[in-house]
Amino acid sequence: MKVVGARIPRYDGVAHVTGRTTYVDDVRIPGTLWVKALRSPVHHAAITKLDTRPAEEMPGVSAVITWEDVPHLVYGPLEALGIPADEPLLAKDEVRYKGQPIALVAARDEATAAEAVSRIEIEFDERPALFDVRQAFDADCPVIHQEGNWYTHFEDDMDRRQIRKGDIAWAFENADTIVQGVYRPAAIEHAPIETQVCQVVPEPSGRLTIYSCTQALYFSMGVVAAHLQVPLNKLKVVGGTTGGGFGGKVDTATETMCCLLAMKSGRPVKWRWTREEEFLCSSTRAPWHMEIADAVTKDGWILGRKMLTLHDAGAYSRFSPYGLTKHSFHHTGAYTIPNLEFDGYVVYTNRVPTTAMRGFGVTSVSFAVETHMSRVADVLGLDPIEIRLKNANRVGDTSPNGVVYTDPSTVPTIQTIAEAIGHELPADYRTMTSEQRSGEWLPEHLVAQLGNPEDH
Amino acid sequence: MNVTVNGVTHEIEGGPLTPLLDVLREELGITGPKAGCHQGSCGACTVLVDGEPRRACLIPSVYAEGKEITTVEGLGTPEDLSAIQEAFIHHYAAQCGFCTSGMMVAAKAYIDRGGTDDPEAIQEALGGHMCRCTGYAKIIEAVSAAARGDSFDLTTTAVGKYTTMTTGGAE
Repeated sequence: MKVVGARIPRYDGVAHVTGRTTYVDDVRIPGTLWVKALRSPVHHAAITKLDTRPAEEMPGVSAVITWEDVPHLVYGPLEALGIPADEPLLAKDEVRYKGQPIALVAARDEATAAEAVSRIEIEFDERPALFDVRQAFDADCPVIHQEGNWYTHFEDDMDRRQIRKGDIAWAFENADTIVQGVYRPAAIEHAPIETQVCQVVPEPSGRLTIYSCTQALYFSMGVVAAHLQVPLNKLKVVGGTTGGGFGGKVDTATETMCCLLAMKSGRPVKWRWTREEEFLCSSTRAPWHMEIADAVTKDGWILGRKMLTLHDAGAYSRFSPYGLTKHSFHHTGAYTIPNLEFDGYVVYTNRVPTTAMRGFGVTSVSFAVETHMSRVADVLGLDPIEIRLKNANRVGDTSPNGVVYTDPSTVPTIQTIAEAIGHELPADYRTMTSEQRSGEWLPEHLVAQLGNPEDH
Repeated sequence: MNVTVNGVTHEIEGGPLTPLLDVLREELGITGPKAGCHQGSCGACTVLVDGEPRRACLIPSVYAEGKEITTVEGLGTPEDLSAIQEAFIHHYAAQCGFCTSGMMVAAKAYIDRGGTDDPEAIQEALGGHMCRCTGYAKIIEAVSAAARGDSFDLTTTAVGKYTTMTTGGAE
């Protein structure tokens, strides 16, 4: 071990404390044009008129782009897996969330660009908008997405992420009590102190140099290349310095549009979102709606769990199917439940598209599971720590998706917590280990789920 | 109009109502102060005006005429770090680094006016500065250390002198 326990300095620490770190906004390029966006002022509408000529005719304006300027307009991050894309880079016939970009202007300075945006003529025919993921799932709800109100491209064209394990009917028939709960964590804005920012320089060689605050450089490169329909060797992406991201800079929010403006104007361009744009238009962590019903015994064993999850994708799918998949794998939390029936849907609303944020997909379900564990203990009149230890993942237990645990840390973690908060545990809980279940910790209903850790 | 930044006097072209932040960043190329919100909320653009912390995005440049402006670049160089900079490195008080410039000049003002290592007083002094990486605990530790006048063994952290993965840390 060379690093664990060593005091390794941050490689960028000295630059940070002397103001010498070059963030994207700090890159100085002579002759750079400023970019401003025309964004949808409404949540959901048909675009009935879009005329950018008044902006194009304004002195100081070098380029204006709309959907017509995008070589490959509709793209999705899962296209490579054969999943149809659903999000246009710039809105074409309709807008589906407030703040959705429609047109962009590159002009000699920020004020001119803003003035030009205000001169673009646009008219809308407003439609009903949906903001609640549970409401959007109702059968009689207005349809807001071209594919219906939820994503339909899980494996084998299933419209949900589904997990079936063991015999759920047996669990509910043999339960002493059913404990139910509904959990609805809200959206969270990443709110990095550095707002989204990008600079693009059209090089004489025909390449584009992209200064990006992306958290996912090669990913962003692929997205730009796909929209522009150019090979990767036409793009030089300079990244690696991000003024806070937390997942919100995984989406390619600015780079492609800046490239199009740089190509159209032949000039370097810079787009720095305002704080208002960052709050109102950037992606957020998803809001979720989770319903749990646990079949439990009066001595605190969880025989089975039924769960319905609705993941709010916002207006477009982006990475939501991936987030929901992670969520589904973790829907028993750090605990072993042998009989499962899980259905998760990626549901569309007219909120901003949601995206990655620190452990995305998993934090929501952890919140629900841990709250629910305490609720089960409360209903049964049992100790909330003991019920967790009893059902804790042990070596040889299997996860919802069939992975055999070889080194689970739930037991020592909970014991440490109990000690830290001064919570007295009975001897058999205090001495419990993560070793394979046996004796009082291996009731009949947990035998069939056991796997062989040697196989993994 | 003239403004003096980190000891150097510049003649500036921006109008008297141009925010000082824009003069510093766009006209003078002094990019240490960051444009986090342009509305006085986040503190990332903070500079010292005659030793007092001020939001550069909110003050018209005319207000800075004839006054001494200090930005993070004026606190010390990589080769000659000031105590507060050493403390921020030693205590890992900069994560993404975007709020660091503002935090450090505010901390310098706090220490220069006799601020102690009392965490509550430091929280009060830096209360208007947002850190979204949630590094507040380490920032407060760093400011406390600098306020106490701690000296740091920077052989583990100074440029070119630190332990690396190949030269070894704990075995």
